[in-house]
Amino acid sequence: MQANNDTATLFINKDSWLHRLHPFTKLAYILLTGTLVYAGSMDWEWIAILILFNICILISGYLLKETFRVVWRVMLPLTLFMVGIHSFLYPGNSTILVSFSGVAIYQEGFFFALTTLERLLVVLMTSLVFVFSTHPADLIMSISQTGKSPSLAYLIGSPLLLLAGMRERIKVIQAAQQARGLHTGGNIFKRFYSLAPLILPLVTGAIVEVEQRSIALEVRGFKSTSVKTSIRILPDSTMQRLARWFMAMIAGGMVISKLIG
Amino acid sequence: MSLSKRLKEDFTTTTIVFMSVAIVINIVAGQLVSLLKLPIYLDSIGTVLVGLLAGPWAGGVTGLLTNLIWGLITSPVAAAFSPVAMAIGITAGLCAKYGLFKTWWLAIISGVIITFFNAVVAVPIKLYMFGGISGTGSDFLTSYLLALGKGLFGSVVVTVFTSNLIDKVATALLAWCIVKALPSRTTSRLPRSKNVIAAT
Repeated sequence: MQANNDTATLFINKDSWLHRLHPFTKLAYILLTGTLVYAGSMDWEWIAILILFNICILISGYLLKETFRVVWRVMLPLTLFMVGIHSFLYPGNSTILVSFSGVAIYQEGFFFALTTLERLLVVLMTSLVFVFSTHPADLIMSISQTGKSPSLAYLIGSPLLLLAGMRERIKVIQAAQQARGLHTGGNIFKRFYSLAPLILPLVTGAIVEVEQRSIALEVRGFKSTSVKTSIRILPDSTMQRLARWFMAMIAGGMVISKLIG
Repeated sequence: MSLSKRLKEDFTTTTIVFMSVAIVINIVAGQLVSLLKLPIYLDSIGTVLVGLLAGPWAGGVTGLLTNLIWGLITSPVAAAFSPVAMAIGITAGLCAKYGLFKTWWLAIISGVIITFFNAVVAVPIKLYMFGGISGTGSDFLTSYLLALGKGLFGSVVVTVFTSNLIDKVATALLAWCIVKALPSRTTSRLPRSKNVIAAT
């Protein structure tokens, strides 16, 4: 899927309640669904209801079409391989579902594949709810607003900004080294030797800039934990805060009960 | 030196900037070497570098954040494997701390150790969340081993280990080469450089 032109991430710019939700609320929702699905021993019918619920959320955020594209791209190879391999070869196979010319598809493997895929689908959809509807600047701001770690906010924001420049640099390095006679064909050992002339310029060039960048950051008061004024407004509400705590507690409670019981 | 003081020393501003650069290198290195058509991904080269030069904790955080950011950029599935990347960073840092990156052949051994711990963390995630399947070519090896009756756990362990061995050994060797090639005024600014620069 092509990344949005404005940001390096998969963010899609629409105007919906989903986009206005605080990023932490959406992250808490991912935590809750992940815990429900993996630690909550839910039957496949309840997981299917969760999938429908997520579809409704995505429709209300005008994100269903894009979600479907990503889900198709991610889940199709997994589905083909999982159903293909486990229907025939799952170790717990004993009941035959369908058999033709001596080859049998077993029920246990088939349902194992389906339930694993179902759980994966739920978590993928909730993650996409977050990724599609959260502008990276909002995510970074929500982290820096906690006032706890300016480094973490930087560590998420800076790579996203550096990415485009690095990708350009790669094309330049590839062209330059090939002009100098780099072997890109030939036997595998020659190709392994060609690794260093490609990687070294990229890494050394990037690392040598590190000192300049870190001085620039320190001069701008990087490590200060006082809350900075921002031109961007991140809406939050008491109800969202309560919802986050509620979701986190349910998730935590389920993990603890799974560990105990 | 107490733990918190050591952590503060490890996470200087220079380290943080280095980590963010390493995260980008992790993401783009695969694209760079794609024209060589080698069976490696090089998606932990930055993580290993940070582990070598800034310690295991910094390496672990770099790996973790790389996969989380990858989840934001390409596909949330990558985020599921963040603990694996974290393990790679921590292992690389600990290998360097105990002197396993001082020569090129020691670096190869470290690569094997990293592959081992990679498998230790990756196999449970792959088994529990993905049923042992990744939707890539390595699944053919898994199905071959399953057909031989090896059991799901054993098949996935062998698949994960073998499909990562060349990549992680190449990564470790490359990381060693890179550190040797860096100017010493750059490496001296990073907290754990004495682990990799052999005493002269």
